[in-house]
Amino acid sequence: MQTASGLREKVISKAVRNIKRGYTDDDSQRGMYREEIRLDLQRSRLMTESFKQTDGQAMVIRRAKALANLLDKMDIFIREHERIVGYQTSDPNGIFHPIDQNWRSVLRLVNSEAGKTLLDEEGRKELDELCAYWKGKSMSDRHQESLPEDLKRYWTYEGTFLWTQLSELGIPDYDNLFKTGLKGRIEQVRARLEEIDRTIPVDYVDQKEFLEAVIIALEAVIRFARRYASLAEAMAAQEDQPDRKAELEEVARICARVPERPPETFAEAVQFFFFIHLIRYVEYSTLGVGIRIDRLFGPFYEKDLREGRITKAEALDILQLLWIKLNELGLVYSPTVSSVYGGVASLQAVTIGGTDEAGRDVTNDLTYLVLEAARRLQLIEPSIVLRLHDGTPDELYEKAVDVIKTGIGYPSLFNDEALIPLFTRWGVPDEDVKNYAVTGCVYIEIPGKNVMRRSVGYFVLPKCLWWALHQGVDPKTGEQRGARTSDPSTFESWRDVLDAYVEQVRFFATKMEQLERINLELYEKFCPRPFYSAVVQGCIEKGKDARKWVYPSMLHHFTQVIGGTNVADAITAIRKVVFDDKKLSLPQLIRIMDNNWAGHDDIRQACLNAPKFGNDDDYADQVAREVHRLGEAAMETVKDRFGFSHRGDGSAVSATYGLAVDTPATPDGRLDGEPFADSTLAPSPGKDKKGPTAVLNSCAKIKAVETYNHLLNQKFLPKFLEDDLKPTFIGYLKTWKELNVPHIQFNIVDREKLVAAQTYPEKYADMIVRVAGFSAYFVDLSRGLQDHIIARTEQRLM
Amino acid sequence: MRSSNSGVIFNVQRFSVHDGPGIRTTVFMKGCPLRCLWCSNPESQDFSPVLMARDILCQGCGACVKACPQGAITLSRKEGRKIDRQKCDNCFQCVSACLYQSLTVCGEPMSVDEVMDEVLQDRLFYKNSGGGVTVSGGEALMQSRFVLALLEQCKKENLHTALDTSGYGKWQNMKALLPFVDLLLFDLKHLDPDEHQRTTGVDNKIILENLKKSAKYTSVWLRIPLIADFNDSNAHIKKIACLGKALGVEKISFLPYHEGGITKNRQLGKNACLLKMKAPDDKHILTLKGIVEKNGLNVSVGN
Repeated sequence: MQTASGLREKVISKAVRNIKRGYTDDDSQRGMYREEIRLDLQRSRLMTESFKQTDGQAMVIRRAKALANLLDKMDIFIREHERIVGYQTSDPNGIFHPIDQNWRSVLRLVNSEAGKTLLDEEGRKELDELCAYWKGKSMSDRHQESLPEDLKRYWTYEGTFLWTQLSELGIPDYDNLFKTGLKGRIEQVRARLEEIDRTIPVDYVDQKEFLEAVIIALEAVIRFARRYASLAEAMAAQEDQPDRKAELEEVARICARVPERPPETFAEAVQFFFFIHLIRYVEYSTLGVGIRIDRLFGPFYEKDLREGRITKAEALDILQLLWIKLNELGLVYSPTVSSVYGGVASLQAVTIGGTDEAGRDVTNDLTYLVLEAARRLQLIEPSIVLRLHDGTPDELYEKAVDVIKTGIGYPSLFNDEALIPLFTRWGVPDEDVKNYAVTGCVYIEIPGKNVMRRSVGYFVLPKCLWWALHQGVDPKTGEQRGARTSDPSTFESWRDVLDAYVEQVRFFATKMEQLERINLELYEKFCPRPFYSAVVQGCIEKGKDARKWVYPSMLHHFTQVIGGTNVADAITAIRKVVFDDKKLSLPQLIRIMDNNWAGHDDIRQACLNAPKFGNDDDYADQVAREVHRLGEAAMETVKDRFGFSHRGDGSAVSATYGLAVDTPATPDGRLDGEPFADSTLAPSPGKDKKGPTAVLNSCAKIKAVETYNHLLNQKFLPKFLEDDLKPTFIGYLKTWKELNVPHIQFNIVDREKLVAAQTYPEKYADMIVRVAGFSAYFVDLSRGLQDHIIARTEQRLM
Repeated sequence: MRSSNSGVIFNVQRFSVHDGPGIRTTVFMKGCPLRCLWCSNPESQDFSPVLMARDILCQGCGACVKACPQGAITLSRKEGRKIDRQKCDNCFQCVSACLYQSLTVCGEPMSVDEVMDEVLQDRLFYKNSGGGVTVSGGEALMQSRFVLALLEQCKKENLHTALDTSGYGKWQNMKALLPFVDLLLFDLKHLDPDEHQRTTGVDNKIILENLKKSAKYTSVWLRIPLIADFNDSNAHIKKIACLGKALGVEKISFLPYHEGGITKNRQLGKNACLLKMKAPDDKHILTLKGIVEKNGLNVSVGN
């Protein structure tokens, strides 16, 4: 058995450093990645090579052949400690960039100070050549070309929403893949091909091209695994050390079997999963994991145990090796995206606990083993999501608290009873609703379904309020950018402010969805995903690529809403200062605010001292509930390409910090550019004065079922989770559960330690904090984002 | 005696985890007959509301200077804001004028219903953590009629109740409360009457008598504020443990001294205690825990 500390040394962190805040430089003198990390051009090179050869063929065939070219020719290797194998780049320190999506940002990055270590001179030259091919052909080129003039204005980020290309998720149908293997899948495809030859459907040619592409992709995957089998066999023949020799022989045996055929052992299942995960990620740079890991692998582990093939220690070893593999995935982000994904590698989460479709608890021995692996390794990814339901065993609460106590920020806790009614409202069928999983951050999906999940972008709600207070006109330029809502001087109550705000939300959500509609159509045309389509349910049966249809629900299409608490506090401040206390008129307040409160600190203080969300005070909490509820209702009036409602989502990532820079002062007393309250439910930092029970009571008033899923961070001192107080903490968690708050996660650290880490980063290189729906190394965050985390209210023990 | 419907309270502290079991709401009653040198809540001592000045939050805007009818507040670049407590007549107009919450009033009259409104908001937390309500102070016995009404109401709501007391008060008053008290957090400072008198200003005879009587009525945790070289000798702790054992108390809690009271004294314009006090070191606390355990009693630190 390998020790955790020995394994930790093998980890190569590809987490992106956060160097920007919105569009302003923050810590720009730092590299965006660790010095040893290199941009690996292999994927770009091999895909481009294939694309040059397939000009004129159907796009789905071209994408399949490009993937096959990559899998057949990419350099492969096995690191000295590895027993789970497979790599996305030609070098362990490599990260790739999806040149077929967007080449401009990577070109900008490698030519900037922050990205110059990523590529040498020769590499830069090759990248230039590769980019020349993709000019006019990448998804971002096609998108820009296709936009009508009016929409182009909204495509350019000005502070209200940041539309993004990245962040497609999706959970393959491992349950069925494990039954058939890819070989079985290919047989299904052939059967479907025979069927359409008989029936000749109206889209016969489309279907045939798609199904043939699937075969090309799946056969390439099988060959890719066999290449690893041969490599392992050759390495074993050269190996003198008998233990390692045996390990390599086992790797060779496993890779010769999976993913072609169904896995029979725990180790085979894990390797099967990892190949699929890896190739899904190489085909189209995706984020997330999402498997219900204990449910998926538990039966294999238990069977191995029963039959004496494995010990607990050996299984723990395999899990830890898998953890290291997951950490080796990473993406190249643009500097702006790094401001909202500060510290992320691939935003991967695995889910444990919860129930099966029939409502039976799924906790098994592997549930505990997964938590133990995380406790030992203490890495930023994968984050663990623990689903709690009314039948969760107490022992699992106990174990979860022991892991939370380490300060790594997970498991984050999801409340089945609060969330399942919401998913039903989103249209998820009854038979699937209890099988939900979380892929990354708080992204919710149903394993195996074609959710094709995409975040359309980040929606800065306080900016919508700001537009509402200016009738949609930018006072600096005179441009009518938002909706022409009523003149604030005519507002008679806070309800009028709310109405104008909601109208702006609807207006901008419509713009965002229009952009997205065009985008998705372009993706269908130019970026089909034959491999991914083959590993989710329904595509082969329908003969349709995953991009042509979608799992029928509102699950898949959303906007990450940020700053809802600030909107609520701002409208509450108007309610108090303007309408109740009548200190000044709304136009006067707007003028003062637009001047960033200069010379009117008394008014700013009055706004700051108005009741705030998070103190269990209905005066403020009622407004917060309406802001979330009516904002969501407005977003839902907008329909996506498939006719489903657009919706909000709680996964705010670090955008609450990164994107606040472009929002001027707001009536909650916030200054121009000041960060927003983090997550979707957290009170403004330092404004929750009544402690954590009042925070949860306030949060409970924002009902998930009438809004969206939420994210809530709380910060406690480690001693609340220890010794005599541990049962009290569990009592606190059970109350969170009973209050129907959908989510909670913790930073367990004392302020002094965070401050010390700012001064001595080298001593705290391994210190992990929870940022939003992900954990990150504290030292990867810019000074500003670090300060933002330090400023979050620390719930003191009274 | 105040009417039972209204009590003077200086804080209703939710999420208390150090004043009895589980998550609790602690109701701090104002007014205390003791003047312990180590007092961590000096703002609780006077019965009437007092002005607290947090200089760290002062922005030097001068609004309080203008607001004060007595001319008790001055502002200078050199010394910052100064409050002449002799001149101050506690009208608190400066508090209303302060934009920055640098001046606050400590203590306000509240009705039982008002307190209960706040208390009941955390009912689920009490249920799930085995917590409840703790009435503390100051000295709760000083407002025993109000406290009785409050505790009665808590029991009607089926909440677990604790009373945190110095034990210094009329037995009659204490006895009336005990049927509504599930747990008595009984503070014991020193067994020696002279030492007690010297450091708290009162004799401990009544306290010890009340302790012996009340232990027959309800569960008791004996709480010892641990102060180095004052009450932390092995012999003294052993005596307390023997007494606790004899009375059948549930456990002994050590509350090591902390300096929270010093800042508050400054905010109240009082001279901080002249004696230099400190908590025993961790090693010694472990020894003392051992002594208590050896006498067959449970012991905990901090609660």
